[in-house]
Amino acid sequence: MEGNLAIIGYGLSAIGPGVGIGLIFAAYVSGVARQPEVRGVLQTIAILGFVLCEQLAIFGIALAFVFSG
Amino acid sequence: MGAIDNAAGVLAAEIGEGGFWEDAYPVIPHPGELIVGIISFAILYLLYKRYVVPRLEAMLAERQRAIEGGIERAEAMQAEAKAALEQYRAQLAEARNEAAQIRDQARAEGQQILEELRVQAQEESARIVARGEEQIAASRQQVVNELRGQVGALAVELAGRVVGESLADDARRQGTVDRFLDDLDGMVGTGHGAVAAEGTR
Amino acid sequence: MTTVVSAAEEFVPPSAPDFWQPLIGDGAFAVTRAMVVMVLVTIGLAVVMMLATRRLAVVPGRGQFRLEGVYGLVRNSIGRDIIGTAHFRPYVPLLFTLFTLILVNNLMGIIPPVQFPTMSRIGFPLALALGVYVVYLVAGVRRRGLGGFLKNLVPSGLPFWVVPVVFVLELVTFLVTRPVTLTLRLFGNMFAGHILLLLFALGGEYLLLHGEGLLKLVSIPAFLMFFLFSAFEILISFLQAYVFILLASVYIAEVYADDH
Repeated sequence: MEGNLAIIGYGLSAIGPGVGIGLIFAAYVSGVARQPEVRGVLQTIAILGFVLCEQLAIFGIALAFVFSG
Repeated sequence: MGAIDNAAGVLAAEIGEGGFWEDAYPVIPHPGELIVGIISFAILYLLYKRYVVPRLEAMLAERQRAIEGGIERAEAMQAEAKAALEQYRAQLAEARNEAAQIRDQARAEGQQILEELRVQAQEESARIVARGEEQIAASRQQVVNELRGQVGALAVELAGRVVGESLADDARRQGTVDRFLDDLDGMVGTGHGAVAAEGTR
Repeated sequence: MTTVVSAAEEFVPPSAPDFWQPLIGDGAFAVTRAMVVMVLVTIGLAVVMMLATRRLAVVPGRGQFRLEGVYGLVRNSIGRDIIGTAHFRPYVPLLFTLFTLILVNNLMGIIPPVQFPTMSRIGFPLALALGVYVVYLVAGVRRRGLGGFLKNLVPSGLPFWVVPVVFVLELVTFLVTRPVTLTLRLFGNMFAGHILLLLFALGGEYLLLHGEGLLKLVSIPAFLMFFLFSAFEILISFLQAYVFILLASVYIAEVYADDH
């Protein structure tokens, strides 16, 4: 079997953000369902949280390329 | 970054053939691209700052003004309409007031006229009654006077005849008659005194 | 892509070197494909924006209405709502530049004649992030002075022995983490997205040309996935442009937040 340990590392680094993004959007959806009028505010906050979460996965992919050499 | 640079250098040295930048890690910025990126960004930013955004802002401000002007105009019109309505209502109330006043006045006048008429009628009736009484009194006086004359003459004649004595002396005769009549009055007065007494005096 | 054509028999998956496409010269200052795209996009944007804003009517036409939609998103939903009504005006040009530049460059990764996402070369996101970095540092120092700026990094009311630790952490966040994450996020998204697209396109092509028998049919779902991910990339392009200015304005807003 051929492959690269760095990609496994990326896979591991994607677990946390995956869970985190899921939680963030779950909260966003239920928030909008409860109070549809605050959608705009929640959307900005949700995207901000999503971005801060996704950051870890992005680090993962960048470092995967760094160490794949 | 230093460590990455070193690693990249080692890697490039190992591969060699494709050139450093082909096999460099994708996270190492290519200087030429970085410079082009900065320059493009700076130019676009200056252009936006100098022209695009001020124009858009000016347009938005103008629109804001236009909308505010429209609202003001609408408000002015509404105020005007309200004033007109108020004025109309005031006029209506005034007219109603006036009508009521006129009605009141008419009623008062009617009352007054009625009162006047009544007073007049009363006066009239009182006057008629008074005149009637006067006439009655006058005719009664006349009757009394006539009667007194006739009664006197009759009585004297009767007495002359009874006594047979001529009562030539007028003065004496007058005194006798008067005395007689007074006695008669006194006799009658006990019965119908009030009227008789009034008539004689 | 040349690698696939040359290696007819063996499938070579797309990788980082596919993004190195020098057109003129070689080395550190070679003119690359990404550079050309960037310059063209900049010129195009400049021309379009100057023409579009030359005659602005109070009652907008169709083109102006769209322009105003984009401008309103940047100005009101991001600039005004996050930085605050009192301070957002000077930063609107920066945010608008970033948004349009990133959005159009990202879309260039999908639009057929170009099909190269500029932001998958890390130099460009880094250039934009450096712009934001300079702006928020300068704004912070100018507002509070250097001493005040450093002092404001640490929230008040901490026990004295925590202060140095927090100070160092915050300083690193301010000076290193923020620009690096800003750069890496945009770069990583476009890079990974484009690699995915290349994988489906090249894989489908390989299966179609070199697959045996029924294996050729497998290329159909691969191409379908290519179209699906192209559509997804449009969403990502927009989202990344949005997120970039969202974070930029959050960083700027922190300068004006009076408590930490």
